Amino acid sequence: MEQTNPKANFSNFPINGVSRNHVVTIMPVPAKKLVIKNLKSTPELPEDYMNQTWKKLKGAVVAIQQSKANQYSLEELYQAVENMCNHKMASLLYKKLQSLIEVHVSRNIEQFVAESMDRYLFLKKMNETWQAHCQQMIMIRSIFLYLDRTYILQNHISSIWDMGLELFGKYILLNTLVQTRVVEGLLMLIEKERQGDQVDRSLLKSLLRMLTDLSIYNVSFEQKFIQATERLYAAEGQCLMQELEVPDYLVHVDKRLAEENERVLHYLDSATKYQLIHTVEKQLLREHVSQILQKGLDQLLTEYRLTDLGLLYDLLSRVKNGIVELCSAFNAFIKKRGKTIVINPEKDKSMVQELLDFKDDMDTVVTKCFHKHERFTNSLKEAFENFINQRTNKPAELIAKFIDSKLRAGNKEATEEELERLLDKIMVLFRFIHGKDVFEAFYKKDLAKRLLVGKSASVDAEKSMLSKLKQECGGGFTSKLEGMFKDMELSKDIIQAFKLVHTSNKKLSQIDMTVSILTMGYWPSYQHMEVSLPEYMVKLQDVFKEFYLNKHSGRKLQWQPTLGHCVLKARFNSGPKELVVSLFQSLVLLLFNDCDELSLEDIKVATNIEDGELRRTLQSLACGKARVLLKTPKGREVQDEDHFKFNAEFVNKLFRIKINQIQMKETTEEQKATEERVFQDRQYQIDAAIVRIMKMRKSLTHNLLISELYLQLKFPVKPADLKKRIESLIDRDYMERDKENSTQYNYVA
Amino acid sequence: MADENENEKMDNENQKPEKMFTLKKWNAVAMWSWDVECDTCAICRVQVMDACLRCQAESKKDSYGKQDCVVVWGECNHSFHYCCMSLWVKQNNRCPLCQQEWSIQRMGK
Repeated sequence: MEQTNPKANFSNFPINGVSRNHVVTIMPVPAKKLVIKNLKSTPELPEDYMNQTWKKLKGAVVAIQQSKANQYSLEELYQAVENMCNHKMASLLYKKLQSLIEVHVSRNIEQFVAESMDRYLFLKKMNETWQAHCQQMIMIRSIFLYLDRTYILQNHISSIWDMGLELFGKYILLNTLVQTRVVEGLLMLIEKERQGDQVDRSLLKSLLRMLTDLSIYNVSFEQKFIQATERLYAAEGQCLMQELEVPDYLVHVDKRLAEENERVLHYLDSATKYQLIHTVEKQLLREHVSQILQKGLDQLLTEYRLTDLGLLYDLLSRVKNGIVELCSAFNAFIKKRGKTIVINPEKDKSMVQELLDFKDDMDTVVTKCFHKHERFTNSLKEAFENFINQRTNKPAELIAKFIDSKLRAGNKEATEEELERLLDKIMVLFRFIHGKDVFEAFYKKDLAKRLLVGKSASVDAEKSMLSKLKQECGGGFTSKLEGMFKDMELSKDIIQAFKLVHTSNKKLSQIDMTVSILTMGYWPSYQHMEVSLPEYMVKLQDVFKEFYLNKHSGRKLQWQPTLGHCVLKARFNSGPKELVVSLFQSLVLLLFNDCDELSLEDIKVATNIEDGELRRTLQSLACGKARVLLKTPKGREVQDEDHFKFNAEFVNKLFRIKINQIQMKETTEEQKATEERVFQDRQYQIDAAIVRIMKMRKSLTHNLLISELYLQLKFPVKPADLKKRIESLIDRDYMERDKENSTQYNYVA
Repeated sequence: MADENENEKMDNENQKPEKMFTLKKWNAVAMWSWDVECDTCAICRVQVMDACLRCQAESKKDSYGKQDCVVVWGECNHSFHYCCMSLWVKQNNRCPLCQQEWSIQRMGK
């Protein structure tokens, strides 16, 4: 195949179709010579050339000034100027032009000085004159362009345009009367616009441009304008603060600021912007910051008006200290509002939920309205911590109980994710609490109940809560709680092993027994009660006890009948049922296998249950919702002479019935006991902390030790208490006073 | 926790129709503690059920620190934290309470 190169084809052609060699041959050089001779005489200008030309030019300028048709073409005039310049008449030409313009401008002044006319008309006329002047100067300049570019440029004098401005300024606007009239007119127009009227913005723009061009904007206008602004908004601020609600006022201020910004955009010189906006901010906001906050913040926060709060933040962030004051007012509001939630014992029931909601709301306010400003997040925390501890112990207790209600089985209102989120939120509240050990005491009590009755909603949720607490307060805080879970697991293993050994024993395996073995110290302490169990139950207990103590030497077991619970099979006339009851309830019911009717005294003797407890037990069986016993005489309370009978006619649509025990109201004594326990624990914690610190530091002065202790301890303590603990540790030879310096302690290893 | 089927089988075998109530299931609760005469360790003045003061101060990562801080009984039947006692005997091989020669009778498990 033949490949042709396109370049190769064209390379044969001569460029431009002509070859140079060719030209030489076709056009031989002619022999003729060209001779250039000197001119005989230099060209002369006509004598009155200057006058003639100026006349021409003057005519043209005057025609322009009077807006008449020009008889010469622009080309001709331009040529004329160029000629004059080239013939050294430039300076003369400039002077003549200047005086010509001066005459025209000074003539114009008369109309502005003469009679007083309507301000608006005056401005209009002024604008017209100015516009015409500019127009004329542009045309004049284009004719005298050559002058501008040569003579003026070389001699550093004002260009034709500048000369026009100078003259205009000199004659018209430096005339104080005219100047004041113009400025006042402008201010009047702006004020009108501020009052909401439509004004001719292009007029304003043009005249203000004029002032700028004449460089008298700053001196004659700006200052007065700012003063007028200040006066207007000072009055408006005073008045509207009284008249309007704060949110409306804020909206108004925002509108004003937008308007003023627009004003700058549309006709004011951009250099005025800073001063103008600053003035508006000062008069409408800074002067009123404390009043705005005092009058409106609480309302906005209470009514949760996010948009208004956002606006408030945006506005106040414009003025000096605005944010600082907003923040402290915000802080004060939280403390005040929070205190009302926390302090009132009647509202205890809803306290935690209210706190959670309140925290949620305030978080949203900080995120959405206050741009997550660090100052506000910190202030929010500080305020919560402050008010939540206004009431000692109670919030901690209620938070613990709230968590219990959420972790307890039967709480199906939330999915696991929701529960998890809720727990996270509660942890935030928990973080604020100073008496964390009070929380622990109550949490532990509830956890024990959940674990023993198998009422915990979800092991995962429990574990997750525990790990949150651990993360927050360290392993020391949760070690006992974790121990409780461990106990439950160990108990399961033990009972399995126990059953493996004893399946062969028919008598024992009739009853499905499980035992929860609790480590004393991990669990809350329970009141111990001796009760009489049926023989076969005692036997079962003993067999188990023997089994257990064989496995674990050096231990002793104490049965806790108050915590036991059972499932009883019952045969009613309507059919068999299963009753889920406490151990005490079962003991009472089991008595009715042998007798039909029993008195209170009989039951007391047979079961040996403590009187108050027994009465409550009987009440639950005979006066509650599920009355498996009949009491004579009838009544709500159990009296000394009451008799009880098995209710064979008992009916219930359920097969498995849970009979709730009647809870003793938590008495103040019990409350005190819990607190006392907490106090006891605190002493150990203080001891441990002192030893920990001293072990690390080896020797420390009293004050340093105390301050380190305050850092470590998670509950409020008085220095006097710490001193007592230190004394006690010195007595026990954990540490000693330095022999030379009595304020110094040394660690004794 | 319980094997229901197995239980029901048992119950059927042992039916005593004249009884109105039969105990089917029993969740008993017991509390264990060291079988000691005095529940405070005479050396560290902390309850023997709790970890000794030094163990607490070290705040062990193992949250079930008690397994490490067991109780020890001497022949004299006095009991202390094992940790406390092992430090004590380095100085003085006598029971701090009765001054008898210290020898271990048993250890908690």
